Amino acid sequence: MTAFWSDHATLPAIVLATFAPFAAFFAIMLFTRGRPRLSARLSIGAISVSLACALYLPCVHWRMEQPLEYTAQWIASGSFSIPFGFLVDPLSLLMLTIVAAISFLVQMYSLGYMAGDPGFSRYYAFMSLFAWAMMSLTVASTVLQLFIFWELVGLSSYLLIGFWFEKFSATQAGKKAFVMTRVGDASFYIGLLLVLLHMGNLDILELGGPKATESMSPGFITLAALLVFGGIVGKSAQFPLLTWLPDAMEGPTPVSALLHSATMVAAGVYLFARLFPFFSLSSTAMTVILAVGTISMLLASTMAMVSRDIKRVWAYSTISQLGLMIMALAAGGWFAGVFHLTTHAGFKALLFLCSGVFLHTYETGDIFELSARGGRNLKIPALTLAVGAAALSGLPPFSGYFSKGAVMGALSGLTNPIWALAALVGVLLTAYYSFRVVFVIFFPGSGVAESSVHSHAAGEGHEGGHAETYRAMAWPLLVLAGVTLILGFFEAPLRGFLFGGATAPEAHESVYALMVHYAAIGLGLLGVAAAWVEFGWSRAKRVGLVERWSPALANLFAERWFLDHFYRAFMESVIDKGFASLAHWNDRRVIDGTIDGAGRRTIDAGRRTALWHLGAIQRRLLTTFAVVAFLALYFFL
Amino acid sequence: MIAPFSHVLALAAVVFTLGAYCAVARRNLIMMVLGVEIMINAACIALVGASLRWGSLEGQSFVLFILAVAATEVSVGLAIIVYAFRRAGSFDPDAYNSLK
Repeated sequence: MTAFWSDHATLPAIVLATFAPFAAFFAIMLFTRGRPRLSARLSIGAISVSLACALYLPCVHWRMEQPLEYTAQWIASGSFSIPFGFLVDPLSLLMLTIVAAISFLVQMYSLGYMAGDPGFSRYYAFMSLFAWAMMSLTVASTVLQLFIFWELVGLSSYLLIGFWFEKFSATQAGKKAFVMTRVGDASFYIGLLLVLLHMGNLDILELGGPKATESMSPGFITLAALLVFGGIVGKSAQFPLLTWLPDAMEGPTPVSALLHSATMVAAGVYLFARLFPFFSLSSTAMTVILAVGTISMLLASTMAMVSRDIKRVWAYSTISQLGLMIMALAAGGWFAGVFHLTTHAGFKALLFLCSGVFLHTYETGDIFELSARGGRNLKIPALTLAVGAAALSGLPPFSGYFSKGAVMGALSGLTNPIWALAALVGVLLTAYYSFRVVFVIFFPGSGVAESSVHSHAAGEGHEGGHAETYRAMAWPLLVLAGVTLILGFFEAPLRGFLFGGATAPEAHESVYALMVHYAAIGLGLLGVAAAWVEFGWSRAKRVGLVERWSPALANLFAERWFLDHFYRAFMESVIDKGFASLAHWNDRRVIDGTIDGAGRRTIDAGRRTALWHLGAIQRRLLTTFAVVAFLALYFFL
Repeated sequence: MIAPFSHVLALAAVVFTLGAYCAVARRNLIMMVLGVEIMINAACIALVGASLRWGSLEGQSFVLFILAVAATEVSVGLAIIVYAFRRAGSFDPDAYNSLK
């Protein structure tokens, strides 16, 4: 706490950064709902303030030796106490900056994308709510406080996914996202309570320290860690709770960009990184987590290979990249995971925003149709799409190359080579499906050449008529593409920042690690080449490998490994026929019967007592008060 | 605690008296229910103050229950008032004398 007085700008900056969007949310909801332009200005003004604060803080604390904590007492009772406050350390500052920057760009972009929408003000209000919840989550000082904002993030993403609520599928998707993440959150909450009961507090910094090992047995730590990880599984859409994420594409595209890069799904990985010392206490839990991350990564990659919808491809790729981050973290590569989270936030936002431009122009998300209608004529989105896809595939010199290299380094440090091998397969699949999208859009093929002419005119008309919206959407793309290009070269400074005064652990470069590293590059290029042979080349068949080999397999991938079918069957047989019918019977027979009986008795009694009634309620009330007052006087005086 | 406990109690007493006066004197069913609500809230103020004074959470958790019960009570009460208004055509508590 000595640092409190030495720089007093930190606390106001954090408070300002987190509360500005909240104030904007309230102002918009209460006062400016009918005035869209003003609402957008309010929201963007607030997020600019947050961004300025978020950029200022890392500059001040670039060489921070130990984390700062500003707390005040919130709940104190008996054996436990829960403070409320802010935790400032390199990780939270980095995440704060990412969230603020991405939110700012997305909100600027939305000026173009959402222009003319009847719910424009509402949209910006929810965006502000979202930004507030996520930024407060990053700087929360206790896990309970984090959990509160974690739920608020869930709420605002529900509101935004179901933003176009007149569309039935959108409301369904919002509901699905909400319910599925809630399943994970219930497990998170139980884990949190277990820790609270044993340790007496939930301070993030103390959770991985010696106090945790003293107060809990190893088996118990494993249990608590796995329960908390359940929350991460829900939030970050890992196996088995991953099917809500592709459906969340029903929301406006900027929302998807925000949801998939810096907020919501990133919150899960952030929590993992935040509680990394705690998870590290249990090697069993880490192995389970590693397995879950691996399964999610591979499953989602296969789903992405056959999807025709551009946004869904990126949604699946988000799941798989999050799986990769979780793998890296679970393998002990804290920096690798966090670094991949950072670069991923940049290029995934870029990919979604590019898709948004295509969607906005052609009003379809089907990649083959986009290509047939001349999607490549939109120069800036098409180019930046290629940049984003290259970063996603981990091709040098884009940011994804560096972070994936770090992840591979972490995985090759494990004794069991199967994890590194799985990650390499993931790299190959990622490169293949990302460039599948790029090549399909870039090279419409010969069969559809004539139809591209007519849509070219449509594209021209668009740029002429809505040049302003196009420009509003284009410049965030360029900014993000620039970030994607250069971010990778900041690996060393970022490592220094994250490890603070402590010396960063040196990455040990064994021959095996180098082999994995080169294999990753090689497989990335191989994936691109495979996509080129199938979709890019002028004589390409434009049919995916999987579809040609085995339609059944393609169907399996397209149906998301029948996870949804399984859930529906489970819901029907166990929940509907089991619990629900039991509860229904109980409600009708036991509860209704009792209440109806009580009601009949009451009516009977009422009929009888009504005979004495005079109808002067207030006089009776007054008498009652007077009697009580006199009794009180008699007894207490 | 910044304010002394006696101030909190005094505030609760004042609010309670106001609520009791409202419940007894106003010639409108809705205002009577409102008065009862205010009395409940006065009790809540005293409970919260006491829980802060003795540093135990029970008072606060009690208040949460009271709030929930009060909310249901208002909804049921308002439904009854609406129904009674349809029957008697008036909000005056003295108008409900058909059981006499």
